[in-house]
Amino acid sequence: MSETVLESPKETRYLLDPAARRSRMIRRTVLLAVGLIATFLLPWMIYPPVAMDIAAWALFAISVDLLLGYTGLLSFGHAAFWGSSAYVTGLIAIKSGLPFPVAILGGMLAAMIIAVPIGWLSVRRAGIYFAMVTLAFAQMIYFVANQWKDVTGGENGLQGVPSNFFGIKLVESDSFYFYYVAVLLIILGAWAAWRIVHSPFGRVLQSIRDNPARARALGYDVEKYKLAAFVLSAGLAGLAGGVFAISHGFVSLQELDWTTSGKVVLMTVIGGMGTLWGGPVGAALIVLLEDALATSGFDGIGIITGSIFIVVVLLFRRGIWGTATLLIEKARKAIVSRKRS
Amino acid sequence: MGITKRTGTAFATLVAGGVLLAGCAGGGGPSTGATSELTNDKVVIGVLNDQSGVYKDLSGPNSVEAVRMAIADYQEKYGDDAVASEIEVVTADHQNKPDVANTQAQAMYDRQNADIILDVPASSAALAVSTVAAEKQKLYINIGAATMELTGASCNKYTFHWAYNTQMLAKGATGLVEDGGETWSIVYPDYAFGQDMLKSFSEAVEGAGGTVNESIATPFPNDNFATFITKAQSTNPDVIGTMQAGGDLINFVKQFNQSGARDTTTLAVGLMFITDIHSLGVEEFAGTTFTDAWYWNYDDQNREWADRFMEITDTRPSFAHAANYSAAFQYLEAIQRAGTDDADAVVAELEGQKIDDVFLRNGEIRADHSVAHDTYLAKVKSPGDVKEEWDYEEIITTLPAAQAYAPVQESCSL
Amino acid sequence: MGGISVHPLETQENRDMEDFIQYTVQGLSAGGFYALAALGLAVIFGALGVVNFAHGACYMLGAVGAAVLLGTFNINFWAALVIIPLLMFGFGVLIERLLIQWLLRLDILYNFLLTFGLALLLVDLVKREYGVSGLPYEVPPGLEGLVTIGSVSIQKYQLFVFAFSVVICLAVWLLLTRTRVGMIVRAATEEPERTRALGINVGRWVTPIFGFGIALAGLAGVLAAPFRAITASMGSNFIIVLFAIVVIGGLGSILGAVVAGFLVGLVEAYGQAYAPSFSQLVIFILMAIVILVRPAGLFGRRQEAV
Repeated sequence: MSETVLESPKETRYLLDPAARRSRMIRRTVLLAVGLIATFLLPWMIYPPVAMDIAAWALFAISVDLLLGYTGLLSFGHAAFWGSSAYVTGLIAIKSGLPFPVAILGGMLAAMIIAVPIGWLSVRRAGIYFAMVTLAFAQMIYFVANQWKDVTGGENGLQGVPSNFFGIKLVESDSFYFYYVAVLLIILGAWAAWRIVHSPFGRVLQSIRDNPARARALGYDVEKYKLAAFVLSAGLAGLAGGVFAISHGFVSLQELDWTTSGKVVLMTVIGGMGTLWGGPVGAALIVLLEDALATSGFDGIGIITGSIFIVVVLLFRRGIWGTATLLIEKARKAIVSRKRS
Repeated sequence: MGITKRTGTAFATLVAGGVLLAGCAGGGGPSTGATSELTNDKVVIGVLNDQSGVYKDLSGPNSVEAVRMAIADYQEKYGDDAVASEIEVVTADHQNKPDVANTQAQAMYDRQNADIILDVPASSAALAVSTVAAEKQKLYINIGAATMELTGASCNKYTFHWAYNTQMLAKGATGLVEDGGETWSIVYPDYAFGQDMLKSFSEAVEGAGGTVNESIATPFPNDNFATFITKAQSTNPDVIGTMQAGGDLINFVKQFNQSGARDTTTLAVGLMFITDIHSLGVEEFAGTTFTDAWYWNYDDQNREWADRFMEITDTRPSFAHAANYSAAFQYLEAIQRAGTDDADAVVAELEGQKIDDVFLRNGEIRADHSVAHDTYLAKVKSPGDVKEEWDYEEIITTLPAAQAYAPVQESCSL
Repeated sequence: MGGISVHPLETQENRDMEDFIQYTVQGLSAGGFYALAALGLAVIFGALGVVNFAHGACYMLGAVGAAVLLGTFNINFWAALVIIPLLMFGFGVLIERLLIQWLLRLDILYNFLLTFGLALLLVDLVKREYGVSGLPYEVPPGLEGLVTIGSVSIQKYQLFVFAFSVVICLAVWLLLTRTRVGMIVRAATEEPERTRALGINVGRWVTPIFGFGIALAGLAGVLAAPFRAITASMGSNFIIVLFAIVVIGGLGSILGAVVAGFLVGLVEAYGQAYAPSFSQLVIFILMAIVILVRPAGLFGRRQEAV
């Protein structure tokens, strides 16, 4: 997804200009602080289970953005990892009674393991093919889960997933306190995504996104890098899916359905690809919208989300976050130039 | 971010407002009469069902209207003596997604202070809500879902199963076998509901002395049944039973009719709502037999209620609509007897209750919280016999409650 | 069908053979829907470089349109076979002019995303307008019932669907190979760069080609109307299978789309008959094998693969 929307950060500018570096530092710190405050205030402002959903979907969207925004790969089958992790997390929690962070870790690992063969096959194709192939593989996982009833419970799903947390009742039974424990895992995942993007590895990914041929010419094994990004992204999606499973106390086939993959892409694009912040914004918007519509008596959520999506893709391809930062940047420049003159 | 924040603030304002209001109401001095026995000074009935997907017509928004009718009848019956002096209805759409059902159920109990949740079609969603009900210790009366799990291994004190279940649906097969439909092929969707139905139907057919030649699993959802119909016919059975539901059922019946199988074989449908017949047209279904939990044109009592329903909704009720009415009304009656809407007290009043109302005939709430009542073996009329719109069914036999329902499940311990 | 054709002395082997023939016809008729719709998808992809996620929704619109024509205007199946594709052509032109054209110069994924949003919108609009329980539709007179060939009884309508879709595919093929317009379209579909290099203005054909592809999806929908449940969501799973088909056939390839369409129809029917638990998986396993062995698809060219 190069052209118009995404561009590599102008690293050289920051290397040469200490003032720019400092202002970036400040900007990042402020953003981080605002983000963290928002995360911690969320269950005060809205119903805690909904807040938990926002957090889980936010990390899921970040994981998609890692591929879409930073590697240029549109995965339309990410539900496979979110869902399989949800199932494995649920099974570990039910069968072993281990504390839920351990179960989620298990789910995350499972998602990454599944991502290896799927990714290996999928990264052989680029662009639109990649999207369609991942979609098809995710359907395969869906059918397997549907058939393998003894383990997954089939259409009835996995019921009664416990949220054991070292016997601390407050966390286990009160969704408000549960949020604060589980959201730490989400923050950890988001931090990991940030680290990946800003590491040398992340820069290679972005150069592959911008010009795969050049990256190959420079001696990078493009397929291997793509596969690594795919597996890491699957891990983050798995982490989010595990949290989602524990917070809901059950897992259903819906978690593996292709509409779930579609929904998370929707969130990422509406929020803004290639920004990391966009995913959470999109997730918050869509989850709150669904929550509000569920009790409104209006039965056509697709009409609203579909229209928003079309408008965003047509007119605001940077998404909400990207467009907002662009406008702020423009305003800032305008002020600076006025001051100078 | 702008939009999110604004929405967040709006929510915060709403919540804060709600808290303030609740505070005012609580601090407003003792209220009069029976009201003081109510949590939050009112009874809140939540209807959680599919308001946008495949189950919208058979239950959906019109079930909410049915519940409103029950409230009106209750208020008319008791007037100023009503314990539930103030009753509110809240609704939500679960979109047939169990995770949405789960969140919405929690929100209903916590945020909207619902005392009870009604309906919840789709077994996976119903099981999810049942878990929430047990956790929150609030009532849940299921109507829309068929699974035996609700009153079996996954049963709990706060969950009731009102209208029908897979075993009861299969009882109609007994009548067909006795009428000479001895050999069967059963086509079922390969997921929990379909497997439950296959099991129940096989037991019912074999119990009545028939044989099941072939049971054929199909994918779910599926739109192409041609090969399965060919397979089902390969042993020349007397009856082909289909356990598909909703859109898949319509696919199946269309293709069954075109395969010519209709001329030689009786079609028995596992689960069918009158709305299914209405949407595909009575001609496509003519001659099909199925078990119905309730039929609007069965007798004068039903008809009278259906007329009232029609005035409000402009359509005839499915059995799910009538069952929602019945569940809401009996719940309010239990509050009346208990003198409070406290969940445990109401559960105690409901347990073991024998009920006769427009929906439940010879009804009884049994030990596993399943509600047994008379059910009906129905046959879809030929287009020539239809006298008015929605006049689609001919009731062949009435199955008394004791026969229609299998004994209480042992796997359930409340 | 089997039930009618059975002779008392028939051997099990004959019986199996008859069933096999029936499965084949059923697979070919299901393949007809796929081939027509996939053909539309391939033509659109070739000429515009757009993978139309709303293709399933357009198939649904075709079926719903036929049901509305019959139910409201009493216009029969045969007329719908002509009217609906024309309407859908107009709809396609409208969509292309209003939405698609603005993104043609950008990365191909944008139009993929745009049409995904469009699919959500269309499905829920139809759901609100026509409800969820499905619309009634009858088999057109003359195509009901069975035709017996030898000892095998086959549904007339299935034969019709198969024959009709083969005829349409052939007609499209002739159109593309025998007429000047068609050759430009085909050249634009299969070799867009070279066509442009030859100085042919591909751009002016883009809008009608998009409309044409949408019309084919609508036509598949009309064919499905007498045979399948007509609901707003009928295209939601259809589109996933279509994607698998065009990946198997090779995205840019017109012949590939048609052949893979019928192939997948057959594979699905045999899968359902002989390995029911795996019937849904088979298509995707087939796809995985094709990707491994021939990444560009059965009929695709290599450069499209990367």
